[in-house]
Amino acid sequence: MVGWSVLFPYAYLVPLLMVGSFVVVGLGGTRLRRFAGGGWIAVAAAGASMVLGVLLGVAEMLDPTYTDTHVVWLSLPATGTGTFPNGFELVMGTLVDPLSGLMLLVVTIVGFLVLVYSLGYMAHEKGLPRYFAELSLFLAAMNGLVLADNLFEFFVFWELVGVCSYFLIGFFYEKPSAASAAKEAFLVTRVGDVMFLLGVFLYFYVYATSGPAGGWAAHGFLFVQGSSPFLAGVMGGSTPLLTVAGLMILGGAAGKSAQFPLHVWLPDAMEGPTTVSALIHAATMVAAGVYLLAVTSLFLGFTATDDLAIVAIGGFTTFFAATMALVQPDIKRVIAYSTISQLGYMVLAVGAGFAMVGMYHLFTHAFFKALLFLAAGAVIHAVGTQDLFKMGGLRRTMRITSGVFLVGALSLSGIFPFAGFWSKDDVLSSLFGELGSHPLYWPFYLLALATVFLTGYYIFRVWFLTFSGENPRDRSLPAAHEAPGVMLVPMIVLAIFATVGGLFPFVPAFAHLLPGAGIPPSYTATDLALSALSVGLAAGGILTAWAFWGNGRVFELPAGSAAQPVRRLLLKRYYFKAGYDALGLTGVYTFARLCDFVDRYIIDGVVHGLERSFGGLSERGRRIQSGVVLDYASYVVAGVVVLLLFLLVVGPYLVATWGS
Amino acid sequence: MIDTEVLGQFAPEILLLAGTLLLFVLDRAGALRRELFGAVALAAILGAGAIVLADLGVGFLAPLRGIGAAVVDQPVGASALYGFSSLGLLFQGIFLLAAFLVALAAVSRPSDEPGAAVFYGLLLLATLGMMLVAVAADLIFLLLALEITAIASYLLVASPRRDPRALEAAMKFYIIGALSAALSFFGASLLYGAYGTTSLRVVGHSLPAGAYGDLAIAGFGFLLAGLAFEVTLVPFHMWAVDVYDGAPTEVSAFLAGGTKKAGFFALFLVFVGPLLLVLAPGTGPAGTFRGSLDLTVALLAVATMTVGNVLALFQSEMKRLLAYSSISQAGYMLLGVAVATAPALAGATFQIFAHVLLKAGAFLVVAAAAGLGVGPLVSDWKGFGIRRPALGVAFGLFLLGLAGIPLTVGFFSKFVLFSAVVEARGWFVWLAVAGVLNSALSVFYYGRILRTMYMETPPAGSGGAGVGARSSLAWDGLGYGRAAAIGIAAVLVVALGIDPGPLLTAFQSAATHFLTFGA
Repeated sequence: MVGWSVLFPYAYLVPLLMVGSFVVVGLGGTRLRRFAGGGWIAVAAAGASMVLGVLLGVAEMLDPTYTDTHVVWLSLPATGTGTFPNGFELVMGTLVDPLSGLMLLVVTIVGFLVLVYSLGYMAHEKGLPRYFAELSLFLAAMNGLVLADNLFEFFVFWELVGVCSYFLIGFFYEKPSAASAAKEAFLVTRVGDVMFLLGVFLYFYVYATSGPAGGWAAHGFLFVQGSSPFLAGVMGGSTPLLTVAGLMILGGAAGKSAQFPLHVWLPDAMEGPTTVSALIHAATMVAAGVYLLAVTSLFLGFTATDDLAIVAIGGFTTFFAATMALVQPDIKRVIAYSTISQLGYMVLAVGAGFAMVGMYHLFTHAFFKALLFLAAGAVIHAVGTQDLFKMGGLRRTMRITSGVFLVGALSLSGIFPFAGFWSKDDVLSSLFGELGSHPLYWPFYLLALATVFLTGYYIFRVWFLTFSGENPRDRSLPAAHEAPGVMLVPMIVLAIFATVGGLFPFVPAFAHLLPGAGIPPSYTATDLALSALSVGLAAGGILTAWAFWGNGRVFELPAGSAAQPVRRLLLKRYYFKAGYDALGLTGVYTFARLCDFVDRYIIDGVVHGLERSFGGLSERGRRIQSGVVLDYASYVVAGVVVLLLFLLVVGPYLVATWGS
Repeated sequence: MIDTEVLGQFAPEILLLAGTLLLFVLDRAGALRRELFGAVALAAILGAGAIVLADLGVGFLAPLRGIGAAVVDQPVGASALYGFSSLGLLFQGIFLLAAFLVALAAVSRPSDEPGAAVFYGLLLLATLGMMLVAVAADLIFLLLALEITAIASYLLVASPRRDPRALEAAMKFYIIGALSAALSFFGASLLYGAYGTTSLRVVGHSLPAGAYGDLAIAGFGFLLAGLAFEVTLVPFHMWAVDVYDGAPTEVSAFLAGGTKKAGFFALFLVFVGPLLLVLAPGTGPAGTFRGSLDLTVALLAVATMTVGNVLALFQSEMKRLLAYSSISQAGYMLLGVAVATAPALAGATFQIFAHVLLKAGAFLVVAAAAGLGVGPLVSDWKGFGIRRPALGVAFGLFLLGLAGIPLTVGFFSKFVLFSAVVEARGWFVWLAVAGVLNSALSVFYYGRILRTMYMETPPAGSGGAGVGARSSLAWDGLGYGRAAAIGIAAVLVVALGIDPGPLLTAFQSAATHFLTFGA
């Protein structure tokens, strides 16, 4: 096989095609009514970039190499002194390696399928050109992020996907809730972004000042294969500064991947179109945090403290989010909490030292979670509500949708042999193998295990409430209909991935994309016992769901039940949002009052004072500027006198007094 | 006997001179179109530019490399009148760029306006003088070259012969210019009196040994004053505002973007080049002179940037505002002379280059707006950005660049300059602080213009012929020359704001060579 790698330098075309689509649809969308508001153009561009992306992914499978192609954007030469003794470079480029090959597969395939699905789902909405242009820009940014070959470029695209997410959550901007959700998402992830940037600066500081010869920063922060020995060998493995830098990166990842305590924005982000939820808030962008952690762990390395923090955040979030999913009445929000919970699994695996296991779960999750969202979207499209308690019995009218949702739910629950089983099981067993390395890993392992039960319960609660039973509980719902073909086909394709995707790493070529311990999983006797345990837990969850909600049953918690406060706590999302709001309101309001005071009395005072004094100066200046040439000449002469005085008298005196 | 090698070295200058003569001949030939004169001038400028760039080693112009200066950055002899440094060649490129933009834009002046040939001829002559400044190695050579430029500029300002404002401006310019030239020549004569030579290199190396130390220092003082006029340092700046205001706007663009920069190179030659190399800061008379020179220049720089900015703050006329902004920018550039390290020199050169694009571009937009009927006051620009989107965006870019906002070339130039000043340590850091504070101050008045352009609507019924009448993306009513000049400047501002790398490298290596050039 010759010639696959000739494609690598052209990887930049993957994002560039979507930029082209963004420009064409964004500028000419309103004139493209015949192409579904530019939808077909976006689909065509996404198709082309999918072909290229898949080719690149396949090329990496056959020939797992690191190919970096970049241009130097800005370069300060090494001078040995000054701010940048080793010099400094900013580069823009693409890195095609196994990791980015895997992500390209996920992003381009899911992106293409979601765009196709959008043609049907969004057909009746207003502002289609805006939708398709923004989605194109998002895909461009996401592919750029995946292909970024250095930390700065990564950050640029990271911000760009954040902005796209903001636009798309607020797509229905006439709805106040959508507008406020968009703002919330933007602001909360901003907290993470600031931490990320601080982390970049810290790494920069460490590497630019005391890095290996030449300084890593001098070479543009490139992700170079095997650069983690920089950390271990040259930096002495662990310094407080590097620990803090790693924690900052974790903060950035937590913001983007909605990990505790920055998780609040993701459920509210469901105000966006369901397609956006599927693509951005399930399969791709929210996974970027995990991708960042994986990339950082590979190319920079984390310290032991960082690893524990990552395990703790991931392990806690996975359980914490799953509990909130138990009681939600809104179909999309349940899936959103589930996304947070599953992202927790991925973070957990990265922290345990198995970045590739995390990526494995990212890969399968992208497909089954996108599937769940798209299927939920089909239901919402059909009945016009997101309230689970109004639905019911939709199995009869929406056979295919109910089937693919079932596939997604089984996969999410981790039932053998669906995709989610393999990767989730791998996450659990990899952490199990590491339990000896830190005593504090135990509680998080148990939380992760308990989450398996909760997952089976909450997702089948959704399935039973939506599809089982005889008729919709709310009779006023419009008669449901099966989704059109343009929506069904993407769902079916995703369902196939959600069924068999977990087996891919058992193909040796595909396993090249996930180079690392535990991929593909090896099944020893202990592993088999653990797998049996987790499938048992998931099945237990499903059965519990069936007992409460099966066949159209609706389980009502008795009013006096001791569990009521718990239910309320969960419904109120542990009061996190309320807490943040209160904090924001009192904190921000006080701060705003303070700012107002400062602005009114101090800044305005100074400005007005300045204005008055400068105004006076200016007035005087203008009077000096009389327009009379003789005046000008006399100022010149005065200037000469002052210069001579300075050079001959004042200057030497001052030099003699202060030294030079 | 004509030395062909020397002729070859001066090929760009000879091209400009030939262009001038051809223009004057053509002018006698009768009523010819403005475009023709413009084309001749542009051809001469582009030809000269190609040779200069070839000498600088631009790849695709390699076939031309045999024509121009063959030997660059070699120390010159004690009796040499001229010598070629790569920094000088870069400055020649900067001068030609300014002349090119102005010549291109001036094609769009009203075709019935008389004196086109004279205008272009003088433009080429002034450029010729600047080109000679860039290769001077001798005080007299340098001052005469400056005079060529100055005299051509007086006439350029006076070129609208029936406009009393322009004539008044030219007269002021001439009187103050003559005074300053006298100061410069007096300074040179003092130096000659002290050392018996006018070679910059010998003078620099001699200082301040010998019995005539104070005489020589006074000579440098007078020279500094004379050059301070050229580059509009406070308090030698006053002519600039009246002249930029009264002159035809294209000429203002050329004065701010072009001739002033020749003055800066003269400052580099006299006060940075061979001189400071031997004047390492320290004790002894040389160290003392270096110390007091640093202090004096630093003081001039801070006074210039601050006074320029403060007076710009409350200026209500657009051209005068730009003139004050141009004065304050001179203060930033002077930091390169005050600090006088290779990075600072590179930063100052970069700032000078950026300012050519930004200020010439801004003045050209003002010229275009005047052609569209926009009045002279800032408040006449209300709604301009909405009514003329393309011009508005270009003007906005130039203003943002002047303020030093990222993604424009002005950001990088200031960044490089200020960080070089900081790197020099010591009390120089305070110069950088003053520069940054001044930059912040300048954002106020640039921002005010932007606000006027975009957020304020013109009072109903008063919309001027240009601003009010049309609402069009197109460049109509502008003339292709102006459109092209403004467009080129705007594209360069953004392109070099995104990737200044190659240019920066060129400036840095040229500055490093320059500091060792006269050794």
